[in-house]
Amino acid sequence: MDKLLSVNDLRTHFYTREGVVHAVNGISFDLEAGETLGIVGESGCGKSVSMLSLLRLIPQPPGKILSGSANFNDIDLLSTSEDELRKIRGAKISMVFQDPMTYFNPVLKVGKQVMEPYLLHNDVSEKEAEERMFEMFAEVGISNPKGCAEDYPHQYSGGMRQRAMIAMALMCSPEILIADEPTTALDVTIQAQIIDMVRKLRDDFDMSIIWITHDLGIIANLAQRVIVMYAGYIIEEAYVKDLYKKPLHPYTIGLLNSLPRLDMKEKEKLNTIEGIPPVMYKETNLCPFAPRCQFAIDKCLNENPPLERFDNKRSVACWVDVETGKERK
Amino acid sequence: MTTYIIRRLLLVPLLLFGVTILIFGMLQFLTPAERASLYIRDIPKNERQLEIIIKHYNLNDPVYVQYWNWMVGKADPITGEIHGGILRGDFGYSRTGSEPVMDMIKHRFPATLELALLSVLPIIAVGIWLGVAAAVNHNKFIDQLIRVLSIIAASFPVFVFGLLLIMIFYAKLNWFPTGRYSQWVLEEIVSKQFATPTGFMTIDAIKAGRWDILLDTIRHLVLPVLVLSYISWATFVRVTRSSMLEALGQDYILTAREKGLSENQVVRKHALPNAMIPVTTMAGFTVVGLLGGVVITETIFNYPGIGSAAASAATQLDVVTVMGFALFNGFILIAANLIVDVLYGVIDPRVQLS
Ligand SMILES: Nc1ncnc2c1ncn2[C@@H]1O[C@H](COP(=O)(O)OP(=O)(O)OP(=O)(O)O)[C@@H](O)[C@H]1O
Ligand SMILES: [Mg+2]
Repeated sequence: MDKLLSVNDLRTHFYTREGVVHAVNGISFDLEAGETLGIVGESGCGKSVSMLSLLRLIPQPPGKILSGSANFNDIDLLSTSEDELRKIRGAKISMVFQDPMTYFNPVLKVGKQVMEPYLLHNDVSEKEAEERMFEMFAEVGISNPKGCAEDYPHQYSGGMRQRAMIAMALMCSPEILIADEPTTALDVTIQAQIIDMVRKLRDDFDMSIIWITHDLGIIANLAQRVIVMYAGYIIEEAYVKDLYKKPLHPYTIGLLNSLPRLDMKEKEKLNTIEGIPPVMYKETNLCPFAPRCQFAIDKCLNENPPLERFDNKRSVACWVDVETGKERK
Repeated sequence: MTTYIIRRLLLVPLLLFGVTILIFGMLQFLTPAERASLYIRDIPKNERQLEIIIKHYNLNDPVYVQYWNWMVGKADPITGEIHGGILRGDFGYSRTGSEPVMDMIKHRFPATLELALLSVLPIIAVGIWLGVAAAVNHNKFIDQLIRVLSIIAASFPVFVFGLLLIMIFYAKLNWFPTGRYSQWVLEEIVSKQFATPTGFMTIDAIKAGRWDILLDTIRHLVLPVLVLSYISWATFVRVTRSSMLEALGQDYILTAREKGLSENQVVRKHALPNAMIPVTTMAGFTVVGLLGGVVITETIFNYPGIGSAAASAATQLDVVTVMGFALFNGFILIAANLIVDVLYGVIDPRVQLS
């Protein structure tokens, strides 16, 4: 398959009063055409920051992209001109955010906001943009599109707002849709509807998706490949099937164990990963997960494991072979 | 939207009632003899006659009777002529102005309004512009400069600034005179060579094509406008800056950038409409503040508006005039508030529901 997006050594820090937050610490990954890639990890592990960095949307200052490249259609998103990048934002790469309430402008009509990227990136009339919007509203299942276009965001329900936000992201038929926990704020039934809808849209629009979530369950439903992040590092990357069958990183194992299962007995407690995620104020020379890791060996406390290829189709950043509990050879 | 406006309008009579009660309550601190000037111009010195008048106008009667008379007027028992009555536009007779308070307002209000409008419009335009410039360049040199200047302005007393301007531009340089017009303009007005149908000197001068009079008017307006507006400038810049900064930090700004809008478009189309919500409220307060500010400014510059008349009435204990002005001021404030509320509903769609 073709590489649509190729990210290399992306590193983003925030220079705050309390210290330097090492939010993203040199991550590399590829996105293939037509693929859906899931990104999972605990809160604060750098999922949003890494995606926002790709479009240079982090606030600078305090943020700074220290290194990296992100090749998309022979353009390096991280070094190209601001003008060039603006032509890509919202047109070829679109984002959908977590909270559709705060990510819509409260004083502008939803219709106006949804049409905006289409009008901006295409030489079309208001009328044509409106037609396009109604098409998109139909795609995302907004009935009564005319009325909805005239409404303000606060008049929408949460699920409808998220549908409208997805419609907005799809207006220009992007090649990549980045969805940053778009269903976290919704209740479970609506969440399932939205995910079904996205799956359908993915095929209709022939686009690649990067889907960020806390929820490994959603990933299993939607993605082909998954990246697990921890403390600003990618610590495991694999096809979804492989990951579920045989997680290689102790953190991934912990994540999978903490999923509720159908065969679980009543009163059986959900497993949790002991300890709290690290504060990312300093460069570590140990594995960032080592303090919470039940498999940790001496080496883990002295050297941060690099992400290494494994079985030629997956990668993991861990010194330990979790099956034997010994250092991997 | 319409129901929102109607609801606001329904509130107006209630507010008017409140204002009249308040003013009327204050009038009760006067002696009946003093209150007589609410109805007649020449208050007799003679005790007997005074008593008759007090009786005629029920000035010793229960408060509600007096309030009623004060509101709708009271017929003179001999001539049958109706005197007084706020609702009839009769605010009583001004001792210091030697004319009915309402006539005084009619003569002087255009001057005050002209001064206030010429002050408020630049405040809004320049204040918003500077505030946005500061916010967009947050923590850069321009921002720091605008902030320092607005703090200096806000902490500099009006009368000091006014006197300073008079000392420099009037006494020393003689560029800008005080008052409203020069002697020769006044003579033309009095001799009806120059008509002032609107009462706004600038507009009348432009309409008549009298550029010499326009220039004279502007020369008289420069200093009072400066003094009246500079403090509000400072507050306006501060409010615009902070609400703009707040708007720029919101999530929807990220969405706007993510769509590919330029920074300029993001500010203009997405941040500014939101930042204008608190600024609109501020504009209402500014107008209110200006009406208070004219008292000092007009007095300093000997400008013949409502403010200077109110000040001299107050120093001569002409309470009827002061209260008349206060009542008028109250009406203006209610009107200003109504306008701000309606604007608010237009700018912020969320207002309509709540
Ligand atoms: N504007 C900022 N200023 C300072 N630190 C920031 C800023 N934005 C993000 N960070 C820090 O960067 C780190 C990564 O944040 P990020 O938002 O990417 O986490 P996340 O994985 O998306 O978490 P969540 O699941 O809660 O969305 C966090 O420690 C966060 O505190
Ligand atoms: Mg996030």
